[in-house]
Amino acid sequence: MSSSFLDRESTIAPPGYNRFLFPPAALAVHLCIGQAYAFSTFNLPLTKLLHITQSAPSDWKLTDVGWTFSIAIVLLGLSAAVFGSWVERVGPRKSMFASALCFGSGFIVSAVGIHFHQIWLLYLGYGVLGGCGLGIGYISPVSTLIKWFPDRPGMATGMAIMGFGGGALIAAPLSILLMEHFKSPKSNGVLETFVTMGVIYFMFMMIGVLAARVPAADWKPAGWIESEHRKPLVTNANVTVDMAWRTPQFWLLWGVLCMNVTAGIGVLGQASPMIQEILTGRVTPSAAAGFVGLLSLFNMGGRIVWATASDYLGRRYTYMVFFLLGIALYSLVPWFGHLGSVPLFVAAFAVILSMYGGGFATIPAYLRDVFGTMNVGAIHGRLLTAWSVAGVLGPVLVNYIRQFQIDHGVPKAQAYSITMYIMCALLLVGFLCNFFMRPVNEKYHYRALSPAPAT
Amino acid sequence: MRARLILLWLAVLIPLGWGVMKTLQNALKLFN
Repeated sequence: MSSSFLDRESTIAPPGYNRFLFPPAALAVHLCIGQAYAFSTFNLPLTKLLHITQSAPSDWKLTDVGWTFSIAIVLLGLSAAVFGSWVERVGPRKSMFASALCFGSGFIVSAVGIHFHQIWLLYLGYGVLGGCGLGIGYISPVSTLIKWFPDRPGMATGMAIMGFGGGALIAAPLSILLMEHFKSPKSNGVLETFVTMGVIYFMFMMIGVLAARVPAADWKPAGWIESEHRKPLVTNANVTVDMAWRTPQFWLLWGVLCMNVTAGIGVLGQASPMIQEILTGRVTPSAAAGFVGLLSLFNMGGRIVWATASDYLGRRYTYMVFFLLGIALYSLVPWFGHLGSVPLFVAAFAVILSMYGGGFATIPAYLRDVFGTMNVGAIHGRLLTAWSVAGVLGPVLVNYIRQFQIDHGVPKAQAYSITMYIMCALLLVGFLCNFFMRPVNEKYHYRALSPAPAT
Repeated sequence: MRARLILLWLAVLIPLGWGVMKTLQNALKLFN
């Protein structure tokens, strides 16, 4: 594949190009990298590589395997921050190709690690290489989507980021299906599943690479006229990535994303034991697995629904709804648990998780409103470091506070109440960050004295 | 262009639909 094919100049769409061809290209990438949310399906099989049916003392421990996902999420945030400007400069095709290479080869290197039973190769493969694939792939279509849909930026980015939520829905049953298929007396099928998934994901992501197109610089949707009366906070100026993170607005939005993600991610990771412990005797382990699946569906659905709604409500009001409704629901959860009502409990968490997904999907359009379109992909990349922090903070808060409560004699059914109130406090911090959002001071605006960087 | 559009959307929506269906099958156990 020649390098010119991958260059931004080769991907400029011809006149008459249908802009709805780009969202499936973005989805092809996001549906693959969303597999990360289903990595836990490999956790137990990876601890039974040597003796197949049960863990041997020389097998990897669950805690060792668990680090793979954490490394991947940290690398997601770091690579998005580091490579954001590069992604903006080279365009979606080259960056999607880099993501496909990293993500696909991450599985293959991990498979080599499984074959030789070397866990550092699993960390290097899925954690480091795969994590870079996640970060680059996550941000690669975002700014192009915003440029293709200046009239509906929330809906456009919501469509792609919905794919990241939906990726787990495909990957979880696919992984189980493949492991069953490859299972033999000599192997539990994980190695073969990793190789197969590496190849399948690389090829599927190539659909996105081949279909990616950027609009010409002067392109606008037919019949669309940019409104003279912009909503508050929506700018027609631009702020460069290096200037953006010196503004208070960047850090307020960082706080908004971090608090919204922290409140959801801890629950998502602990959902199965949580519902069984709070609603003791009313929910079986198999029903709890159904609860986790339902939360994933709402996480995915919330991405497209809330992000589209934000085009009408405005980004600031959408996050106001997330935080206020989140506080109300989290404070009601202990009461729903006390009532023993499965439908109320499930409905509360379904809405909470829809807002968790909605927060991810609405943030690129919020960034575009505040900082303009010029470097929005790179700014988004840097903002995703909030995800890395929340990825550690959320589970720690839920797991450790629960354990602390149980160790001090609190019954398991009530051990989550304090956590829910702490989540309310976090959401209040997020609400305040959002409340204090104001337009960026003009001194930070980009003035075109020289050619615009990374457009 | 229209055929390409339909093909591309089908390519992403078919696996997604399969995943959603599998998840819903699992989720229904919650209310059984």
